[in-house]
Amino acid sequence: MKFAIEVENLRKTFASGWLRKRKKEALRGVDLAVPQGAFWCLLGPNGAGKTTFLSILSSLITPEQGKVRVLGRDIRRDGAEIARRMNLSSGHANFLWSMTVRENIEYYAMLYGLPSKLRKHRIAELLDLFDLAEFAGIRFEELSTGTKQKLSLAKSLVNDPELLLLDEPTVGLDPDVARRIRDTIQRLHREKGTSILMTTHNMREAEILSERIAFIKEGRIRAVGRPRELKRELRLGDTISISFRGDLPASFLEGMNGVYGVQQDNASCRILVDDHHERLPFILDLLTNHRITIHDLRIQESDLEDVFIAYAK
Amino acid sequence: MQSEMTKTRAFVFKNLIMTRRNVFTLFEILFWPLVAFLSVGLLAEFAELEPHMKAFILVGVVSMSVVQVCQLDVSYALLYDVWSKAVKHSLIAPAGLRHLLAGSLIVGIIRGGSVFLILMGASYLIFDFDFTAPGVGPLCLFLLGLFLSAAMVGLFVCILVFTFGLRAVVAAWSLVSLMLLVCGIYYPVSILPHWVMFLSELIPLTYFLEYFRRLYGFEPTFSHVLAKGSLMVMVYLILELILVKAALRRAKKTGMLLKLSE
Repeated sequence: MKFAIEVENLRKTFASGWLRKRKKEALRGVDLAVPQGAFWCLLGPNGAGKTTFLSILSSLITPEQGKVRVLGRDIRRDGAEIARRMNLSSGHANFLWSMTVRENIEYYAMLYGLPSKLRKHRIAELLDLFDLAEFAGIRFEELSTGTKQKLSLAKSLVNDPELLLLDEPTVGLDPDVARRIRDTIQRLHREKGTSILMTTHNMREAEILSERIAFIKEGRIRAVGRPRELKRELRLGDTISISFRGDLPASFLEGMNGVYGVQQDNASCRILVDDHHERLPFILDLLTNHRITIHDLRIQESDLEDVFIAYAK
Repeated sequence: MQSEMTKTRAFVFKNLIMTRRNVFTLFEILFWPLVAFLSVGLLAEFAELEPHMKAFILVGVVSMSVVQVCQLDVSYALLYDVWSKAVKHSLIAPAGLRHLLAGSLIVGIIRGGSVFLILMGASYLIFDFDFTAPGVGPLCLFLLGLFLSAAMVGLFVCILVFTFGLRAVVAAWSLVSLMLLVCGIYYPVSILPHWVMFLSELIPLTYFLEYFRRLYGFEPTFSHVLAKGSLMVMVYLILELILVKAALRRAKKTGMLLKLSE
């Protein structure tokens, strides 16, 4: 399998102060392998090491120890080639204040060495893709937050990157703008097969967009998997609440696969299962066999936010 | 090759647009140089200086303005990104420091050259002083020396910013003023205390000023001024290119680049 990102035992410590050095371990042995063409999300609490990790991948910070390969190349040896093939967009977009949207895109396209003809074509394409054409002549300092963010994404695509790093791409945006940006990112991944690693604090966004989640805390990757797998791993599961009439034996679910726990009284029970889609039909069959009449049935799914809270504890 | 030129043009493009759109950069070209030039020139008139003394002073004040404006452009190539917190976007791109230096120096030469033309015209009209009197060739050599000295100062500012961050931004304006003291902008370096003169000897601008003033009849303090100045400025530029790369490597190690983007 080819990997867009391969990291082994990555460590980074920052030192500050001139006379009395204070050290802060930002990454304490990160291992992560993101396949080419995949869309992964990196989640973690503030100060977990997400930005440091993305900064190392984009060569803004040099690692202290460990192996880092991006698009099959060693980041220390082949930095220039990697830079040509990847790009970064970050939330709280900042660009040259006096330059217009078009000029900003053009400037970065030039930094990537795009020849004049291709540059013109790419600028038109990106203005169109992000609905920026009407803002093309407006200076960055006069743009709304949403438009600035669209520009940041447009800039990150000037070199048609094989790997795209997105650092909180929808932070601080209105829900409708955030949704449009999410749609564009999703389309880009689907149509071009761009490998994407994204950080976000929006759990819904992570669940909608990414194929897998990597959870980082205190400089270490704590878990990697699909949201459902992570829920299972943490035994978070879904809660099925049933109100009923009839005699239900206390041990009616004993030994059933995927049941984490049952709380039961005379007229109701709460069942914690790994996945309600899989377990509910069996539970309903059992209740029918016991001639139980169901008055009310509610399902409460645990979501990625619960996973986040559980890992962040 | 085409890609190399495009990357260099990126810095020309950026600096030209930022110059055009920001009032303070226009002040740098027109206001401050003219104010300095007129005040010093009028003082020379009031003091009824001999023509060759007036030449000495005017060459100094004009050189100072040209170097200041040109070096600012080299510094600005980095500082515009620092001020707009966009350093990371420029530095993750596959453009190098050589593109930054070449591109910004081109704009620096355009801006510094404009300052020189304006002040040269003003010298001729107001103080009856002709900068072309020594000939076009020597004048071009002198200007080249000024531009290379400016590149040297601008690169030094970049080294300081990569090393010390925003705290070092003030160097973009103060370094030239320090040079003013030791390079003999308004007085010959021979009047300086011995230890300060030693510092003067280490700065190429001292030799370029002496070279041009010699053509107006001033005996230089040092010998082989043009050769010494040219050699020194080239050696310093090469050393600075090595140092700026080292400073960038260090900034990547310490996380300074990230701090400059926040």
